[in-house]
Amino acid sequence: MRNFVLRYLIPRVVQYLTIIFVGITVTFIIPRLAPTDPVAAQVSMMIARGSSLDPASIESMRAALTDLYGLSGSPVEQYFAFWGRLFRGDLGPSLGNFPTPVSKMIGQALPYTLRLLIPAVIISFILGNFFGGLSSYYPRNIGLKVIEVVGQAVRSIPYYIVAIVLLVVFAYFIPIFPFSGAYPIGTRPDWSSPEFIWTYIEHSVLPAATLVLVGFGGWFVGMKSLTSNIISEDYVVYAETAGLKKNKILVHYIMRTAMLPQLTALAMSLGTIFSGALIMEVVFGYPGIGSLAIVAVYRNDYSMIMGITIYSIIGVATTVFLMDLLYPLFDPRVRYQ
Amino acid sequence: MNKYRLSRRQFLKQAAAVTAATALPGQLLGVPATVLAAPRRQEVAPGVLREECLILENPSGTVLPADDFNRWRSGYSAVWVGGLQQLALDALWYIDPDAGVDGVWDNALAAEMPIYNDDFTQMTVKLREGLYWSDGVEFTADDLYFTVELLKNTPGMQYQGLFDGSIDHMEQPDRNTVIFYLKAPNSRFHSAFTVRWGACYIMPKHIWEQAEDPVAFTFNPPVSLGAYTLRDFDPNGKWTLWERREDWQRTSVALLGEVSVKYAMYIDPGPSDKRVIAQMAHELDVIHDITPEGRITLARENPSSIGWFPSFPWAHPDPTLPAVIYNNEKPGLDKKEVRWALTLAIDIVQVALASYRGAATISAIHVPPTGMYPEYYHAPLEPWLNDFTIKVGGEDYKPYDPTAAQKIADLARESLGDLVPTDPEIIKQYIGAGWWKHDLDAAEQLMLDAGMQKIDGKWALPDGSEFKVPLMSMNESNPTMNRAAAMVAENWEAFGIDTSLDAQANPWPIMTAGEYSANLAWTIETWGGHPDLFFFLQYWHSRLYVPSGENAAGSNSMRWKHPELDRIIEEIEMISFDDPRGVELGLEFCKLAVQEMPITPLMAYNVFTTMDTTYFTGYPSIDEPYTDPVPNWGNTKYMFVKIKPNTM
Repeated sequence: MRNFVLRYLIPRVVQYLTIIFVGITVTFIIPRLAPTDPVAAQVSMMIARGSSLDPASIESMRAALTDLYGLSGSPVEQYFAFWGRLFRGDLGPSLGNFPTPVSKMIGQALPYTLRLLIPAVIISFILGNFFGGLSSYYPRNIGLKVIEVVGQAVRSIPYYIVAIVLLVVFAYFIPIFPFSGAYPIGTRPDWSSPEFIWTYIEHSVLPAATLVLVGFGGWFVGMKSLTSNIISEDYVVYAETAGLKKNKILVHYIMRTAMLPQLTALAMSLGTIFSGALIMEVVFGYPGIGSLAIVAVYRNDYSMIMGITIYSIIGVATTVFLMDLLYPLFDPRVRYQ
Repeated sequence: MNKYRLSRRQFLKQAAAVTAATALPGQLLGVPATVLAAPRRQEVAPGVLREECLILENPSGTVLPADDFNRWRSGYSAVWVGGLQQLALDALWYIDPDAGVDGVWDNALAAEMPIYNDDFTQMTVKLREGLYWSDGVEFTADDLYFTVELLKNTPGMQYQGLFDGSIDHMEQPDRNTVIFYLKAPNSRFHSAFTVRWGACYIMPKHIWEQAEDPVAFTFNPPVSLGAYTLRDFDPNGKWTLWERREDWQRTSVALLGEVSVKYAMYIDPGPSDKRVIAQMAHELDVIHDITPEGRITLARENPSSIGWFPSFPWAHPDPTLPAVIYNNEKPGLDKKEVRWALTLAIDIVQVALASYRGAATISAIHVPPTGMYPEYYHAPLEPWLNDFTIKVGGEDYKPYDPTAAQKIADLARESLGDLVPTDPEIIKQYIGAGWWKHDLDAAEQLMLDAGMQKIDGKWALPDGSEFKVPLMSMNESNPTMNRAAAMVAENWEAFGIDTSLDAQANPWPIMTAGEYSANLAWTIETWGGHPDLFFFLQYWHSRLYVPSGENAAGSNSMRWKHPELDRIIEEIEMISFDDPRGVELGLEFCKLAVQEMPITPLMAYNVFTTMDTTYFTGYPSIDEPYTDPVPNWGNTKYMFVKIKPNTM
């Protein structure tokens, strides 16, 4: 136990915190390298929208917003102030929706993204791995060949194209699913209402199906290549020679072994929840962090961009860190030395 | 062995079971069969029938935060245009971008027009009586006085700079009068209180005086001075629902007619293709804007969809003028011959077809061809344009082509057939008059006149150094402008200009800072219904000039200075808003701008606002031009005295 803590856990924790520190620092720097600033973006948006503002009013607004947004100090001062706020759990106000706190807006949007993307990623993971494993063990099966071809074909199509095709087919030509949003226009979210939950699920089917279809091919190929190597291992040959049932060999001897690198990939793929949300939410009009992020980019909303990225960095780093710690549970051969 | 010790396998099984149990919402198991078989609702919200609710697109999309109705804070929020400034707020005066319900000028909260003293250092406002806030409190001069005082003294609020810099003090001689004593003469001080898209709306004193921090105050629910109050909104910002006030007769809009629409809902319908599909399903009454292709689809597939024009080009020309904006400080672009050469290198017919599929309303002069401006400026200048000459190679050259719009119509007809009108007068009204010739020979001579050199097929500066003119544009967030820019860049490249398309998600701050060579955007916006050009010219006087690298004070992002321009602006400042001399000065400005060509005007900002007549009629159009149909302007309130449910 002492060895585990000293030689494994503490270095991992240090590594984990370093990754977060560096990631957050880079996140702080990058928006400030952009050729515009959030104050200019807000003011120009006002002017571009035809408001009659005299020059003095514009200059005064610039000064006031710079002060209100906390952008009046040097970048170094802003950086330390930023960490000071962060340690208090304060991501600051959204500059594009001042003075609403970033954490409030992310807190409202993130559940929508997670509720959709996590199940979709897990479903595509399970289906892709299952059929990928079967495909290598039963290489002559016609049905599995068809699934593989379809999976590979869809995988090579950009996500938004698949999304639009599904939308046009299943929401327009065959209108069995809703066209947009997480629930109907005019409806307020009510998670205690079975009717609301049903409509929510209806609205989730197409975006989730798109994610599953696009993700499926990747898991399929990964699993197939992993299991193809394992099939020729001595212990598998021995099991077949011993007359064990094929299904048992496939599930317990081949797939289980092949699942380990796939589990690591699953943890890493949680990062795609944040990137995938961008496109998915635009195409499907979903009220999640992807929509927040796009508006934030348009408006140079530093604090919102940083908030979303910080959540992403911490989320992915934590997941990978936990996966490292949980590995022995999945693989009895792994022991922390 | 400890019998209570959990094996790895047992732990995993139990963990999986617990996870599954918590992840599977119990409610899902109890979905009633009736829900699964529920018919499509005839209500758009609980208790709100579809045929009673006008559904409009919020062009700013999703409103976040959805519960913040502070319209007076600096910055911009999508909630403003989700019905707040159109339906719930009110201002002293409105100028319509088109003809107006009862003329372009509307005294809304004010009983009459602003009263200035002789030297424009005082402005007196007389307010109407008998108007009430939605909570039953009467509107009085207290509200106006309080609003201005609060904004003047609160950094972070809009108009703080203007009011603090302009107003010496105020007086309130009675409950319906406020007198503003100004620090310096200002014949256009009323502009701050006059809606053209937006303005300084008036606050309810009895609500805002309770706000500890006016900048942070969310004004939720908004107490309304308009004909509607907030009924409900989506916490995720996808829709905002407004309900007609029971006492709507006690609002200023009632003076213009009956408010017949019971509910109005602003929604985020998604991108252009989704808006088209929503309208074809009659689930979206007013589309703010769509792509030209989407508009053509609706024209062909959905007979109940109508536009501003009854046929091609359908779109409403906004009083905004997309143009090729040159940074007049950049080497090469600081010469008017070069700017003219770049203008003559543009093929407006190709640009109109690339951007709007031909559905553009072109303008050769520096005011938009919309609202009352064709009457005020375009028609009077037509003879002058036909005779106008510039020096090319020392010879007089007439650059104006009066047939440009006709050429656009002829080419558009090849793909759109009978949708495109053939009557020359209609074409002139819908697509515009002439534009500048596409003449590469003249453009080449102008470049040579300016001392520019052509080296290896590319134009260079007089000293032989490179002359690069990257053209900035909006990216796919504004496809028509982006496509126009792509065509201009193509034209310039064919002429030998070293150019490239620089599509930006948000080019405005870059333009304001002057960190560009050329940009396809707009710096000219006008009242539309009123000829006064001070709306944009106020920023263009050389006293406000700011060099590149610093933020321009307003819309002079092209950094144009000219003594004659200063004279025109100074003279406009010294005459009253309605002085007929204003139009003469406006014409002088147009002539100067044509001669100097600091920016190349292209066309009106055409908006494919499309309205579905399935549930409602009475929308504005070229035949009934009582207001701009786009639903995000404050002026949209006038639509609600004209639009009637089909059930009436």
